[in-house]
Amino acid sequence: MDIDGGVLVADLEAGLGTLSRLEAGPVDAVVVVVEPTAKSIEVATRAIDLAAEQQLGEVIVVVNRVTNEDDEAHVRSALGGREVIAVPDDPEVIAADRAGVGLLDAAPQSPAVAALMTLTDRLAGAAA
Amino acid sequence: MTSATQPVSADDPFEDGVSRRLRIAFVGKGGAGKSSIAGTLARLLAAGGEPVVCLDSDPLPGLATSLGIATSDAGIPDEAVEEAPEGERARYRLATGLTSEAAIRRYADTGPDGVRFLQFGKTRGHVAPLMRSQFAFRHIVADIDDTPWHVIGDLPAGTRQPFFGWAGFAHLVLVVAEPAMSSMLSAKRLARLGEGENAPLVAAIANKTRRDDDADLVSQATGLPVWASAPVDPAVREAEHLGVPIIDHAPDSPTVQALRSLLERLHNEERSSP
Amino acid sequence: MKIAVVGKGGVGKTTTASVLARGLSQRGCDVVALDCDTNANLGLSLGVGLETTERLVALRQALDEGEEDHAPSWDEMLARFGADAPDGVRLTTVNRIENMDPGCP
Repeated sequence: MDIDGGVLVADLEAGLGTLSRLEAGPVDAVVVVVEPTAKSIEVATRAIDLAAEQQLGEVIVVVNRVTNEDDEAHVRSALGGREVIAVPDDPEVIAADRAGVGLLDAAPQSPAVAALMTLTDRLAGAAA
Repeated sequence: MTSATQPVSADDPFEDGVSRRLRIAFVGKGGAGKSSIAGTLARLLAAGGEPVVCLDSDPLPGLATSLGIATSDAGIPDEAVEEAPEGERARYRLATGLTSEAAIRRYADTGPDGVRFLQFGKTRGHVAPLMRSQFAFRHIVADIDDTPWHVIGDLPAGTRQPFFGWAGFAHLVLVVAEPAMSSMLSAKRLARLGEGENAPLVAAIANKTRRDDDADLVSQATGLPVWASAPVDPAVREAEHLGVPIIDHAPDSPTVQALRSLLERLHNEERSSP
Repeated sequence: MKIAVVGKGGVGKTTTASVLARGLSQRGCDVVALDCDTNANLGLSLGVGLETTERLVALRQALDEGEEDHAPSWDEMLARFGADAPDGVRLTTVNRIENMDPGCP
């Protein structure tokens, strides 16, 4: 799959099915998205372990819908104390989802976008 | 049909040779609340004294948490299947003499309120080790109409598994949708499960609503009748954070009320049971 | 560079992927956003709208059902089965070209 120096951002199907079929090489970084719920933390744990096992490059964890410091701390702890990018629970995200419009179009200055841009900066550094 | 106030008799599930049990599959976009609602509905049925088996066809954990059963990765033991004779289409079949009912009695877990729970297992990545168990699961489900339980099935998120036959046991497919474009678009796609001969009845549940007209919004956007509606609720959200059943943590929530009403409706609705 | 966005259904993978794709493009990268989900919704989050999102799903289905041929090259695949998204991102639901192994990505 030849993208000639560009960047491919693949939004995978929910779960681990696709991830399990990837080999080291085709993927340079895995962004594991999670929220402060028991179920999503369980899936994230498995995804992180699988990415490590398959040597799928850098793993970055994004925690969505963070309402307070406890949420963030709880998820960090559950995932082995690793660093995470915390995205605040943001009514702008809910509004954009409801309407089916891009978050960057609906609310480019929102706290959620600001947080997600730290993810972008992190990966832009790696892509350069 | 029995009245809405009397539970279907556990001793005689068959009337005129026809089962009066519910056969429901829950589908929907990820995060809409399928497992939470499926689990809560199953617990409500069981708490009312009804025999229920919950089917979990997701290779990732979720439904057990909603029921109040400890998550386990274990599937159906190898002994449940045997290699099929040469020439047969499927590689495996249920072990000689093992009926669907016997398999459920033997291999399904038992949770709070006596709800039975059957899964083909959970993966930490690779699904191949679950192959025999998946065969067993599908064979058990194929003959589930011959068993005395109400059947509540939870499918993985999205459109893949539903259109690959994993909801085939259902006489009623309940599509769980949030009042958000992508969730409703997913529901509209899933509505097609109701097309064609011998198709199940398909209806929607509007979940995590924020406005009074959200149920109507879901109905219009999906083309489906909305049979229950539950609002965003801090108590439900807390249950999800903690990983505990909604029915235990928030028994008086509008969500639980809505599902009680849904059960009343289902007892009256002819086509949700075979 | 290839980035995979994963997680349980409903956590916000698609929103994250969409902001990441457009953000990287804003910073000068040449970005392709690939929607691997059978139930494809990335187009909505990227801001291409419902009609284009549905059109791309229909194209993928036509390909899967053999009504369309696979493109012989990555560029042609993007041209035939993709759509332009804001900030210069190209969106596609198809990742295969002729003679490649199936599966995402």
